Amino acid sequence: MERTVQAIYYDGATSKPQEATVRVREMNTLEVELPDGGCFQWPLEHKGMEWERSSAMLRLSFGDHPRRVLLIRDEPFIQSFVLRMRYAGRQGVYDRALAVARSGPVLFFLGVVALLICSYLWFLPWAAERLALLVPRTLDERIGEAAFDQMALGLPIDSARTVSLQAFGDAMELSPSFEPTYHVVKDDQVNAFALPGGHIVVFTGILDRMASADELAALLAHEATHVEERHSTRMLARSMAGYLFLSLLIGDVNAVVAMVADNANALRNLGYGRGLETEADRIGQEQLLKNGVDPMAMVGLLELLEREAEDMPEALAFLSSHPLTQERIAAARTRARELGTPQAPNDRLEVLFRPLIAAQPTEAMPSSAN
Amino acid sequence: MFLTTPPKRLAFLGRPGDLFVVLLVNMLLTFITLGLYYPWAKARRLSWYYEHTELDGHPFHFHGTGNEMFKGFIKAIGLLLLIYGTYIVGVLMEEVKLVVIGVLVMFVGLLLFIPLIIHGSLRYRSSRSSWRGIHFGYRGQLKELYRICLRDGLLTLITVGIYGSWLTIHLRNYTVGHLRYGSTSFRYKGDGAAFFLLNLKGYLLTVFTLGIYGFWWQRDLFNYYVNNLSWEHPDGKRIQFRSTATGGGFFSLMLVNVLIVVFTLGIGFAWAEVRTMRFVLEHIALDGDADLNAVVQTEQEHKNAMADDLGDLLDIGVFI
Repeated sequence: MERTVQAIYYDGATSKPQEATVRVREMNTLEVELPDGGCFQWPLEHKGMEWERSSAMLRLSFGDHPRRVLLIRDEPFIQSFVLRMRYAGRQGVYDRALAVARSGPVLFFLGVVALLICSYLWFLPWAAERLALLVPRTLDERIGEAAFDQMALGLPIDSARTVSLQAFGDAMELSPSFEPTYHVVKDDQVNAFALPGGHIVVFTGILDRMASADELAALLAHEATHVEERHSTRMLARSMAGYLFLSLLIGDVNAVVAMVADNANALRNLGYGRGLETEADRIGQEQLLKNGVDPMAMVGLLELLEREAEDMPEALAFLSSHPLTQERIAAARTRARELGTPQAPNDRLEVLFRPLIAAQPTEAMPSSAN
Repeated sequence: MFLTTPPKRLAFLGRPGDLFVVLLVNMLLTFITLGLYYPWAKARRLSWYYEHTELDGHPFHFHGTGNEMFKGFIKAIGLLLLIYGTYIVGVLMEEVKLVVIGVLVMFVGLLLFIPLIIHGSLRYRSSRSSWRGIHFGYRGQLKELYRICLRDGLLTLITVGIYGSWLTIHLRNYTVGHLRYGSTSFRYKGDGAAFFLLNLKGYLLTVFTLGIYGFWWQRDLFNYYVNNLSWEHPDGKRIQFRSTATGGGFFSLMLVNVLIVVFTLGIGFAWAEVRTMRFVLEHIALDGDADLNAVVQTEQEHKNAMADDLGDLLDIGVFI
């Protein structure tokens, strides 16, 4: 900045511009010389000194209203001035961002587009999930209740076995925050699902293929973990976040409302993804141990599902991470070994399991499956 | 050495690529802060337009800051909540009576806001604008604005909108007539009847020519705005504004702008915007021999941006 440059000076009193000569005297002061011979100091490190750089001009202003103003259009001077202010910590976030953007507009544009895409794909769902976990659990119950009421009409409930399953589930303590309500539905799919808040639906298709009470306990423990850990609410928030983002971009609020209604119904088909399924297996196994059931039962359940899924490729909702089942089985086996066996086995479960298989209704069982 | 434009000419020197970058940075910061940055972004955007608009080779300057606008923004939201409050409470409590009262309060409240928005916005914007270090200002009375709005508004209602032309011109005469630039002032001498006939002719011909005359109607509106505007100096001299815009000019401006925005999926917005600014400023000539160096600073600062932000929230532009 060891230079002399021409500037335009407005004194704030009249509209007459003056051609001033600006010299850099010391590091922190400019000397301004006017055509009429007047000369004064212009401090740079003063609270009342403000500077703005537009694309072709540097504007310095000083003092109370009306402020005195210097306009400088000498590019080399402007550049060294901006650098000096940056080192002095007097360049704000905005000006820095703008300087970066101006030095590579196309790259900056692509960067912003990439940022938008990334936040749409990852950040927003993540933030929505965190936010959903802050919402009180009573909301889970309300969503689950509404969804169940809506689908209950279409589900052929097996009321006798529902009572038995409820008794079986009540004999265990699986979900500390919710009171699970169990339902048996006449359907040949090897499937079961949980709604937020505690409705757990088990299809006869999977129940009839079970060899032991432990496997049923494992299934309930797995589903109850989905409920307890609020997996549906989290997934719902994730899937809604992206939609919300798009709706906000195009400014369509009605779409958001319609989508929430849609999602309530789609809850049963919601895939949890590999991470949450594995978590449900793992925590489910811990619950099994607490309830006097061998955690190895989860391995048995997963093997059953894998076997059946090969025959019935359409029944994969429960196994949304199907190709990874081998991995899940291996993980469950390792975990079971770590946990060990229960000290006091829960004998009541075997007794409660009997009516569930004894009362097999035949009409809902197409012959082909087994 | 500094005269980049001829004397007494307006010019817009901003480059579209630069505006694009400014808007992009604004968007980025607004997005990252979940919208909170909006007032600062607005100040930066306005500042960019002013900085690149020149008269006589000297740029204008916008003094408004994000902080001022943020304060105004908060106040404006508070005021709106107050107005919407009764209605919202009524809906939440499912009280029909309260809802009806709420709707009435909202309707009357918003109508009463309009003169307030025009007045406050003009005061703020003009006070925060300067050229060659001299600030603009607005010295109109809010009371007078209410009088015009109520009287002409009522007449417009009675005449099913016909009197709207008079309303517009009366407002313009009053507001522009009370704009100041230091020791100088502005004057607008519009006539409601002439403005009405201009609009009637424009409307009918536009309908008959299936919209093509719309560009010439636009030119007439622009001409009527510019040609009736003058800049009065205390020594009795004046500068008369004169439009040089043509219908063909408006036609190519608007057609190309639409093509640019459509074919770039909106990304070319900045290019269209700069083309418009250039067109408008290049087609305003200043005639007269008043001395632009002799203006003295007179106006006080006015930093309250509430009305300006309120207009923004309600989407009421105050470009009279």
